[in-house]
Amino acid sequence: MSEIPENLNYTKDHEWVGPSEDGGVKIGITDYAQDSLSDVVFVELPNVGDEYQRGEVMAVAESVKAASDIYAPISGKIISINEKLEESPELVNESPYGSGWMVLMEPSEDMSALINAESYKNSLD
Amino acid sequence: MSLFQTCIHDSHVKLGAKMVDFAGWHMPIQYTSIVSEHNAVRERAGIFDVSHMGQIFISGKDASSFLSFVTTWDMNRLYDGDCRYCHILNEEGQIIDDTIVYTFGNEDYMLVPNASMVGKIFDWLNLQSVNFEVSISNKSEDFFCFAVQGPQALRLLRQYFNLSISPFKLVKSGNIIISGTGYTGEKGYEIMGPLSESLEIWESFLEMGALPIGLGARDTLRLEKGYLLSGTDFNGTQTTLESGYSWVIDWNHNFIGKEKLISQKEKGHKVLSGILLEERGVLRPGLPVYLDGVQVSELTSGSLSPILKRGIGLSYLDLPIGTMVNVLIRNKQLKGRVIQTPFL
Repeated sequence: MSEIPENLNYTKDHEWVGPSEDGGVKIGITDYAQDSLSDVVFVELPNVGDEYQRGEVMAVAESVKAASDIYAPISGKIISINEKLEESPELVNESPYGSGWMVLMEPSEDMSALINAESYKNSLD
Repeated sequence: MSLFQTCIHDSHVKLGAKMVDFAGWHMPIQYTSIVSEHNAVRERAGIFDVSHMGQIFISGKDASSFLSFVTTWDMNRLYDGDCRYCHILNEEGQIIDDTIVYTFGNEDYMLVPNASMVGKIFDWLNLQSVNFEVSISNKSEDFFCFAVQGPQALRLLRQYFNLSISPFKLVKSGNIIISGTGYTGEKGYEIMGPLSESLEIWESFLEMGALPIGLGARDTLRLEKGYLLSGTDFNGTQTTLESGYSWVIDWNHNFIGKEKLISQKEKGHKVLSGILLEERGVLRPGLPVYLDGVQVSELTSGSLSPILKRGIGLSYLDLPIGTMVNVLIRNKQLKGRVIQTPFL
């Protein structure tokens, strides 16, 4: 059973968006997504300063078997990336909502395109 | 078409394996994770269900000369109890499949072809056998095959069968055939026998501590050692010389494809080479390989080595060892070095 924290927002493509103490929003992939990918062995993150429209490919997570695109869940500008993933991509598996976060974004739109935990949970059934 | 299932298919499902279609078979790709299964084989012991592999028996007065004719190896050089890895070629010297020949006696052999090639090899052998007094029978459906691999594999063999095995030798225990062979580069062996005995052996080895390993780790384990994958690293258009496996050719005997190999040897040819990524990234089959901005080849196999934690791949190249090339991944040219396999 996948863990789906109540306090986060989600996309149907299995990204999560959450608040950040440093301003902006934190973005990562869900527990369900990391489990489907299995061992994440490489994460390609965007550059700080890059701007993305909602739905554009912003990062790639690769397992031994496959590469999986990660889409910008909302439009905005990258203000920070999780550099720990370069050396330790397995953090995405170990703690998808914690130390396995991927980017910090300054959104240029509101969160209305995202779904809540309950809707995301229903989308998995 | 529905998929074939091995004799212990239900055990895979019970163990929670992710199942995939492989060469028409419903096979476990992983039970837990590819990396943890890979490491288990390198550090301890794992057991693979490879019952989809074929078993073709060749017997009769001309069995030895026939097999010498249809493979790259001279069976006169093998003794009872020897196993030999070699290639089966067409007249152009191109690899139809790679196989292991099991020598039970000089009129009694078994071939183990790859799952997807069993039918083709059986037909090819029959086609080539017209002038030989041999009987060829495909018993692939009657046999299970498990590979037990890893530094602790031999201890498990002694524990269960009370016997030991040397590399590329075979022993029989009742109607079970055990050979010092494998596809991981670790110490280990493969166990073949009638389907009725498969579940008891599978469960006993799991109980003794062998971890079940899926086809995902089987692929990364073999790639780290530079072993060929049938249908991927050769697909009917490459010769044994090009595959880099010239050591499987005994030039002192007559075999199908020999003439073409001799002329190719004189002319020169590409060789399947290793590419070790010098930057972070994962290599994948099909990615284009560049030299000085010009595409020269593509990868046949590619992955990330769980042990080296580097991207590794194979490609047919005409470049010296040490040459720096680029591999194009998502519009980025990543630096790689041509190396002599094995990677590990």
